[in-house]
Amino acid sequence: MRVEHPKPRWTDRFLLLDLFEGLKTTFYELFQPKVTVRYPEERLEPADRFRGMFKFSYDRCIACKLCAQACPIDIIYIDVHDEQREVDGKMKKLKVLDRYDIDVKRCMFCALCEEACPTKPKSIWLTTKTYELASYDRNDLYFNMQELEYWDERPRYTGLPEENAPTQLEGQKMLTGGHE
Amino acid sequence: MTQALLMRYLLWPLVKFLGAFIVVQAIVAAMNWVERRLLGLIQARLGPNRVGWHGLLQIVADPIKFLLKEDIVPSSSEKVAYFLGPMLPLIPTFMVYCLIPFGPPPMFIAARVNVALLLVLALTSTGVYGIILGGWASNNKYSLMGGLRSAAQMVSYEVPFGLSIVGVLMICGSLDLVRIVDYQANNAWNLFPQIVAFFIFFVSMNAENNRTPFDLPEAESELVAGYHTEYSAMKFAFFMLAEYSAMIVNSCLVTLLFLGGWTMAIDGKGLTTQQLVSMGVLGGIIGLAIFLTKMMFFMFVYIWFRATFPRFRFDQLMDLGWKWMIPLALGNIVVTGVFVLIGQERLMYWIGLATLGAIGFHIFRKPVPAVKAKTAHEVAHAS
Repeated sequence: MRVEHPKPRWTDRFLLLDLFEGLKTTFYELFQPKVTVRYPEERLEPADRFRGMFKFSYDRCIACKLCAQACPIDIIYIDVHDEQREVDGKMKKLKVLDRYDIDVKRCMFCALCEEACPTKPKSIWLTTKTYELASYDRNDLYFNMQELEYWDERPRYTGLPEENAPTQLEGQKMLTGGHE
Repeated sequence: MTQALLMRYLLWPLVKFLGAFIVVQAIVAAMNWVERRLLGLIQARLGPNRVGWHGLLQIVADPIKFLLKEDIVPSSSEKVAYFLGPMLPLIPTFMVYCLIPFGPPPMFIAARVNVALLLVLALTSTGVYGIILGGWASNNKYSLMGGLRSAAQMVSYEVPFGLSIVGVLMICGSLDLVRIVDYQANNAWNLFPQIVAFFIFFVSMNAENNRTPFDLPEAESELVAGYHTEYSAMKFAFFMLAEYSAMIVNSCLVTLLFLGGWTMAIDGKGLTTQQLVSMGVLGGIIGLAIFLTKMMFFMFVYIWFRATFPRFRFDQLMDLGWKWMIPLALGNIVVTGVFVLIGQERLMYWIGLATLGAIGFHIFRKPVPAVKAKTAHEVAHAS
């Protein structure tokens, strides 16, 4: 592609009037609308395919452990026991989920667990539009299945730690194993 | 008798100096916030707005941060020079406040000297010692390079800086800043007859203070942070303090020399010095307000320039200084001399006004319609 520039006039060369052109541009920019999002007060809605925090569905899960096998860093911990239950009038042997924990602090959000999940719709998925995952204690990032299922009820970020002390206390409790 | 003398020559100037000192330091602290905020607004972001109302408490927060930070001294540095580096440029810039009239005399000037302008120039040009000493004492090649660049730059631009003032002096016939301002009130702003000198003075002023587009001593992409790479905490803050104080001094100078200082008068009509003095305290305050407004405009232009222009290359900088600025300044002296000799200073006002008008016309004219770029298809099938 060839671009033709306007021919420079002799005044442009001599008086450096292009400098004023630049100054004019920056001065107008001073009054243009700004792109900054004032984060805690304003929030952007992520796109529909945004890959955020896990969400888990206990009802859909068939306890097949395929997600734990697919996980490249083995941070999904599943415990299962067999149980005789009455389904449609017959006694059936069912797998019951005891434990479904994800150590999110080590997770890299590759979504291989979601790909491996055989149920339809998926029992574990990441398109949740949640991105406020930071915490003041890394032990806060170990979630059991209730926490994973009801992630949406977690409080949003509201301010500095001293402003909502309970979060920090919780973290301390987890660190010391519940003892003072 | 002794008491009266003491009062007149020691105590009263000291109080005035302290007043000027506090006001200027407050402006320096505020500039830190103003600069970051304005740069942000020009670059389509908001700038610091979290601390206090619109981030105004940033003015307090920054000095506190500087005071509380760890003061790291490089083990291989030259200790005495390292400590002197940030302190040296502060002393002359603070001394200059004694000489600058911030409002109508005798209220707002600590010491009226009949060669004030010369003294101001002499004091401000010593600012380079601190920078070169700091750069050398850091024992870091990038710091040294920054210091050397700064020295070369400041020495080069000292020449057009001084020469551009000569035209003003020839018209006004005095080195006393008060008389220069009075002359402008009785005629018109020196901006009009000395438009070329104003341009040279302003460019050299930017170069003197190591501001963009001439901030080569602290070119981040080449020299990390230049001469203050190894400085931290309050020592770094002292460098910043010296830089901003020098900016304020230069803004004051350009206001006094080219924009009529605290007066707002043409041909002796309007708020001249006599008018303001006869109005008493109110006149003093009005004069101070006019002066500070003009000065702050130039501080804004400093920031505006920083937001607009990219940095010069070092050889380009030297080219501009020696090949363009100095000949232009000398030419300006010759032309001004001719006009003064034939007694036609008034003609220069009209010439300057016409030049300003032409520049204004150029800025606000309708843009030339851009030539449409030819597509590859059009180029291929041109014939």
